Amino acid sequence: MKVNVKVYGTLRDKFPDYIDSTGIEIELPEGATVHDLLSNLKISESQGAVVTMDYRILKNDFSIPKNAEVQVLQTVHSG
Amino acid sequence: MKFIRVNMSNKTIKVDDVPEKYEGLGGRSLTSTIVNEEVPPKCDPLGPENKLIFAPGTLSGTTMINTSRISVGSKSPLTGGIKESNAGGTIGAAVAKLGIAAIVIEGKAPEGEFHLLQIDIDGNVALSPAEEYKGMRTYKTVEGLLEKYGKKNSVMCIGPAGEFLLKSSSIQASDVDGRPCRAAGRGGLGAVMGSKGLKALVVAQGGKEKAPVADPERFKKAVKEIIDAIKEDPFSGQVMPNLGTAALVAPVNSMGGFPTYNGRQGVLEGWEKISGEAIAEIIKKRGGNTTHMGCSQCIIHCSNEYVDEKGKYVTSSLEYETIWAIGGMSGVVDIDTIAQFDFMCDDIGLDTMNTGVAIAVAMDSGYREFGDKKAVIEMTEEIAQGTEFGRILGNGPASVGKHFNNPRVPVVKNQSIAAYDPRALQGNGVTYATTPMGADHTAANLVGAYIGQQLDPLSPEGQVEASRNLQYTMAVADATGMCMMAALSLLSPEASEAFRSAISAKTGKEIKPEDFPSAMGIQIIKTEKEFNRKAGLTNKDDRLPDMFTKEPLPPHNTVFKISDEELDLTFNF
Ligand code: SF4
Repeated sequence: MKVNVKVYGTLRDKFPDYIDSTGIEIELPEGATVHDLLSNLKISESQGAVVTMDYRILKNDFSIPKNAEVQVLQTVHSG
Repeated sequence: MKFIRVNMSNKTIKVDDVPEKYEGLGGRSLTSTIVNEEVPPKCDPLGPENKLIFAPGTLSGTTMINTSRISVGSKSPLTGGIKESNAGGTIGAAVAKLGIAAIVIEGKAPEGEFHLLQIDIDGNVALSPAEEYKGMRTYKTVEGLLEKYGKKNSVMCIGPAGEFLLKSSSIQASDVDGRPCRAAGRGGLGAVMGSKGLKALVVAQGGKEKAPVADPERFKKAVKEIIDAIKEDPFSGQVMPNLGTAALVAPVNSMGGFPTYNGRQGVLEGWEKISGEAIAEIIKKRGGNTTHMGCSQCIIHCSNEYVDEKGKYVTSSLEYETIWAIGGMSGVVDIDTIAQFDFMCDDIGLDTMNTGVAIAVAMDSGYREFGDKKAVIEMTEEIAQGTEFGRILGNGPASVGKHFNNPRVPVVKNQSIAAYDPRALQGNGVTYATTPMGADHTAANLVGAYIGQQLDPLSPEGQVEASRNLQYTMAVADATGMCMMAALSLLSPEASEAFRSAISAKTGKEIKPEDFPSAMGIQIIKTEKEFNRKAGLTNKDDRLPDMFTKEPLPPHNTVFKISDEELDLTFNF
């Protein structure tokens, strides 16, 4: 299944050709979880990465629906 | 350590040792204790009985990294309660390195008279007339003062807003490059400084009075552990140095909690154009600096230098809360306008949050359209000109709401909320309501706990406890002079232990692990609440306005759900 991913924070540096308006389109097996998505993108959780969809932060074992649009963000404590 | 009292009524200066009752205190713990002990709680905040206290933290002036913050304490003309607002830059370290624990400004000069307070490298303290700086904006003031006294000085000063005694006025502090772009922004302390007749404080850098450290070996070890913890944390080690606090635009919008159009929705359309990522790209393209050391002894460098299309300096540092106040609350999705507003606020001596939200309330009242770039600049300039409407605006969102009969005013104790909507980040609402300071994110910002999935931002469960615990931690950090970006990277058990060890090693008084940070934090907040009670504030002042409890916030369509009874349990002492 296809999933559209927008990446924020310093995680973007991993994707030199990243285009903000389109993000990255990736192919995942059906039922893939947040954990699978981060592995596919080679982003480790130690980089403070979390995934959001529909304005909610997703748990690592959450199964991503097909054609989902998700955001990969980094933990930030304050501004 | 020295304790300086300056009486502005009769121009006398007294330099003594720190009184016994204040020994061992620093930063917020010292300013709040002095205010509670010495300021008559019902006094006029702009009258001679109020005091204005400058105090570096207990760790300022040592080799501990990121500890150049100075706390400024007083009774606030904005909230009517106690206030501690701290600023970065270089002055915290400079004051501490001269062996000074606090500078207490008392009394009041005759109306219209302004003075400078200068402390030279030998610790001599002098007051002199500041006629030539009267009415001057802060960039020109600091430029003139550094030219006169030399670049190796740190300055804190007020601009026209402080001289006009406006309730959103700030006290600006010079950064490592000698620009007045760091601020003790909140609570209208610029007006207290203005009421005293003090235009600026000029302090020599490079003092040799080594801050005494009781156990140097243990302290050194703790410093190293803290450096390692800060470097390893992706927040302080990667995100802050690259994107600064603007990195929050993406996560807070992605959580639906970015107060937009004066809190009518939780996501700003087009936020990507004013995100930390977008700003970093613009700065790089134009030849500015995406990372910059704003304060002495900083190893994080969360600051930036924003430049215009020709590469000319516009402002430093363009921060998340300012981006939100104009971008989100006033709907101006234009980073150049936001940067210009930021510079103007620093230059006029204004809190960017209280001012941006005041503009948003005026827009919400139909005075101008949301998103009107020109109006933002014109309205801000009106404050500097001291026009009638400029003064209404410069007194903050509550003053603007009253003027337009608009009850949609996002404040607690008259101080504006910050860039986290309490309907989508419930615990931040607990903090806004219950901190003795008025709505303030720095008192305990739970955004990191939400992103890190330790707590559900939309559920009322666990919010009171989380806010309470973090308020204790932040009160302790504010007492040490450590900047929030560093302190928030020390929340893990190991890093927190290093922080406890550092404070114990500095003072020579062992803090028991079970007392850290709660017992220390409780002491500070208890003192502050006691002052507020004596000043006439009650539990009814610890409430969010109706707009947060009655109007659901899209996209989650939730309201703030913590009951009054639960709020009152936050600090039931
Ligand atoms: S991290 Fe930012 S606020 Fe903290 S000391 Fe460094 S420049 Fe100043």
